[in-house]
Amino acid sequence: MPVLGIKITMLNNILSAFQEDFFLRALLALFLSGISAACLGSYIILRRMSFISTAMTHSILPGVVLAVLLGFSAYWGALIAALLTAAGISWISSRKGTSEDSAIGVMLSVMFALGIAFMGLSHSWRDFTGLLFGSIVSVSAEDIGVILGTTFIVLFCLRLVHKELELASFDEEYAHLLGAKPVLLRSVLLILIALAAVASVRLVGALLTTALFIIPSTTGVLIGKNLKEVMLWSVICACGGGTLGLIISYTFQGIPAGAAIVLGCAIPYFIVRIKNR
Amino acid sequence: MSPHTSNLRRLLSEAFTNLLPAMPYAAPESKEACDLAVEVKNLSVSIRPKSVAVFSNINFEIPIHCRTALIGPNGSGKSTLLKTLAGLIPNYSGEVKLFGSKPRLGRSRIAYLAQNPQLNSDFPLQLKRLVQMGTYAHHGWFEECHHADEKVASALKLLELEDLVDRSVHNLSGGQLQRGLLARAAVQGAEILLLDEPFAALDTKSREIVEDFLFHKNNSFTVIMATHDTADSRQFDRVLEIRDGSLKTIHACAGHKNHHA
Repeated sequence: MPVLGIKITMLNNILSAFQEDFFLRALLALFLSGISAACLGSYIILRRMSFISTAMTHSILPGVVLAVLLGFSAYWGALIAALLTAAGISWISSRKGTSEDSAIGVMLSVMFALGIAFMGLSHSWRDFTGLLFGSIVSVSAEDIGVILGTTFIVLFCLRLVHKELELASFDEEYAHLLGAKPVLLRSVLLILIALAAVASVRLVGALLTTALFIIPSTTGVLIGKNLKEVMLWSVICACGGGTLGLIISYTFQGIPAGAAIVLGCAIPYFIVRIKNR
Repeated sequence: MSPHTSNLRRLLSEAFTNLLPAMPYAAPESKEACDLAVEVKNLSVSIRPKSVAVFSNINFEIPIHCRTALIGPNGSGKSTLLKTLAGLIPNYSGEVKLFGSKPRLGRSRIAYLAQNPQLNSDFPLQLKRLVQMGTYAHHGWFEECHHADEKVASALKLLELEDLVDRSVHNLSGGQLQRGLLARAAVQGAEILLLDEPFAALDTKSREIVEDFLFHKNNSFTVIMATHDTADSRQFDRVLEIRDGSLKTIHACAGHKNHHA
């Protein structure tokens, strides 16, 4: 029974993963990051802001590179770059003749190019592969602390302004009439996206962080009948899909964890998509 | 919600409101007795600064509980007038008062319904939640919302929507959605309803329900409604016409002073 034998070996392999410290740490980081990314992602998808989340996650590159070059914490560099991007998008799109869409495109490209330019200055590209592609299997206790703090801040803020955000996302004019500042709420959302993006980059890399925001929530939107359900399903898909990805990456050595996580998150999407057809 | 979280929310809400007095989100309104619902003196409005005024120097008064039709050709400024009263157009000259104070955002006593409400069609929302959103007008920043279930249920009943509470708002017909938005205004506790052509998308049945809600059923709304349908002017206590930038009273009910401008 060679087939059964292979199955049992794979099962043993998977079970042994859950006894490894680094795997459990990666899983914890993934769950924490997945929760905040999925909750924010629900708003991103429902408010049709996916492009802006791509911009936020890609534009942290120059901040991190500069931070590494100058020797201070990469998280601070990333956060400053993300906030600069958010401010830049608001500023450019408030001028006449440039739509918000174009403003996002400009900031995304400029910041990413700056990042690559700074990398060139450092004469060593190898240091930054972890940043581009992530290295979830080597997350430290300090990284988990940062991710935990970020997740707490994101969830706390979302809970506080939940009713205002829900209202402004569904009926902006009514929110405006009630005095619930939709523009301010949008900025709050952008800052939270920046925070969550910074925390997730360590896991799946700058190139794929946006997937963590978008794919699980796109699945959630297909299933949920209201915002709460959308968020719940997004979190389930992010954590479930992410775990699946981690296991794939552990079983088939050589597949980078970041890419496997993103592919794992895409599986529930395609299942639901085909079922809903 | 634990008492600690409630206390934290209340503290945050108070701090935020005190720090930012210019953000009168859902500020409580004192309900002073006032005979006049709307008072407008020498009002001129331009959509953009320095552009030609949509209308200029218009004057009118609307007593409380009066049902007013606003008629006039397309582009005459009916919607602009309603938006100004709702507080959506802050740049106007002249004097405007609703229940004795200037129009501004965050007034729970005033509800405005646009002709084509711009609702996010991707956002999953059930009818009940839409109507519950009316209660947000009474909760400040960060405050936990207590959905006034009885109020919501009675508003849904008044507009004959009880059977559709769990339906997605995107699967409602135009008429049902319009009734849902009116139910939201009722839950909000609005006393002045500023309605921009609410009958435009309604079939006969929905129209009857809405008319019943606005004009009968012991509701004491002050209604100002932009409409093209002059055939129904009997339903209204007065009819105002905006034409060529000025306003005149076509018909006023007995007891209301005829007012020309």
